[in-house]
Amino acid sequence: MSPHLFFQIFSLQARRIFSYRAEFWVNTAAGFGIQFLAIYCLWDAMFRESGQAEIGGYTFDGMLLYYVAAILLGKLVRGRERESDLANEIYEGGYTRYIIYPVRFFAYKYAQNLGGLVPAMVQVLLFGAVISFVVAESALATISLSGILLAGVAVALANLLHFLLKAPVQGVAFWADNVWSLDVMTRFVINILGGALLPLDLYPDWARSILHWLPFEYLTFFPVRVLLGQVGFAEFAGGMAIAATWCVLLALLARTVWRRGDRQYTGVGI
Amino acid sequence: MVRYLRLYAYFVRFSFSRAMEFRVDFFFRIFMDCLFYAVQFAFFGVLYRHTTLLGGWNQEQVWVFLGGVFVTDAVIMTVFANNTWWFPLFVNRGDLDYYLVRPVSSLFFLNTRDFAANSFFNLVIALGLLIWALLRYPEPLAAGSVVLYLFLLGSGILLVHAFHLCFLIPVFWIQSTRGLDEMYWVTQHLMERPDRIYRGWLHRILVSIVPLALVISYPTSVLFGAPPLRVALHVFGATALFWLLTWRFWRWGIRNYASASS
Repeated sequence: MSPHLFFQIFSLQARRIFSYRAEFWVNTAAGFGIQFLAIYCLWDAMFRESGQAEIGGYTFDGMLLYYVAAILLGKLVRGRERESDLANEIYEGGYTRYIIYPVRFFAYKYAQNLGGLVPAMVQVLLFGAVISFVVAESALATISLSGILLAGVAVALANLLHFLLKAPVQGVAFWADNVWSLDVMTRFVINILGGALLPLDLYPDWARSILHWLPFEYLTFFPVRVLLGQVGFAEFAGGMAIAATWCVLLALLARTVWRRGDRQYTGVGI
Repeated sequence: MVRYLRLYAYFVRFSFSRAMEFRVDFFFRIFMDCLFYAVQFAFFGVLYRHTTLLGGWNQEQVWVFLGGVFVTDAVIMTVFANNTWWFPLFVNRGDLDYYLVRPVSSLFFLNTRDFAANSFFNLVIALGLLIWALLRYPEPLAAGSVVLYLFLLGSGILLVHAFHLCFLIPVFWIQSTRGLDEMYWVTQHLMERPDRIYRGWLHRILVSIVPLALVISYPTSVLFGAPPLRVALHVFGATALFWLLTWRFWRWGIRNYASASS
């Protein structure tokens, strides 16, 4: 696919999402506010009732900062999941048109996925600025320009990893009528094993050592730690290498699933 | 009343035969909810590695609370979730006409017609987990408290459904309630944590205007020494009041319904 066409698809998707402005911003602001409130109350209770000044190496403000970063970077990693719902294209028969388009299906969908990130980038900047007034200055001091730049690279790879992780799962739609539940299961696993629900520092050591080699922690936990300045360059390079290896493996798996699925596909839709 | 029960029995029968047409999805969904239970256990399990109390409850008490969370979720998914998903579409497409002319309450019909058979198996699993949590609780639980807890949990489920409907009924005036519905789903997560973690004005809101603390936390608290009469009056009173308001809101909405053009 030519870069020009890739950019056209990217731009179209970004404009499409921005066209629902009021609903989009009300939901986003309310959703973020409620999520932050729930996290604040949970960890306020945890620190108060445990009587500890640090839990898993995090102070209260450090913990809040972790979650804010996890929520905001998570938006960039996940993108607009509904808009890039590959399984729906199969289920509704829309996949047929990609067979005759002079573009590759996955390149098209990935461009759409990146287009969907533009509003998320605006949210990250906006909510990030607002939240900097809530979290203590000492916790924010760990964030540096180099950390932001490296986190940008980690998030870009995490977004690709997330896209490739979901592709084989959504490809099951060639055989099953509805893969919504599989999609939700994937989300559950990513959230608990990736560090979106809890920082992985709180997990037992044996679990940490296993998770280190799995793709999930490179979706949330790793980019957040990079942003917060907790990762040295050698660890950053090692983490990126593991994430990139998973990208290659998942791309091969996705290709196998979709090639086999193509043979099954009848284009009937609903 | 008998007519309504017979009608509901038909809904259940149709739902089971429909569910068996999509067998793969049927089993996926059962597995999905089991994974949800595992994630919740893991989440609280990890938290209790770093504290002995959370919201005033120890780990055994939180397992009982989680049993309530699972049962509530399973009942909502089994009885109401499909119906609340379809309801705004019916209003937008004008399909509500078919339900308004039937000789039964439209509110009953639209809230119960689609019984999710696949989630029913999860309800059985969720009840099993609740019983397991109650049985492994180290201190004796009075039979009266357990019975009251079950009634309060049932009342809490009705309360949260009425609360959800308040986010959907505006579809009679606005074209899409998707945004409101998303807001409900984000908000309802607040009931999945012990209510005592919320303090001050937030706690006061969660036991009154946004009564999510009354759904699972308050019923659970009667098992662990909260004054039963006060909790019962609060939960049953709030449920009755919310249903009255929802019913009036519904009637108001129906009066504004203009079929396909609404």
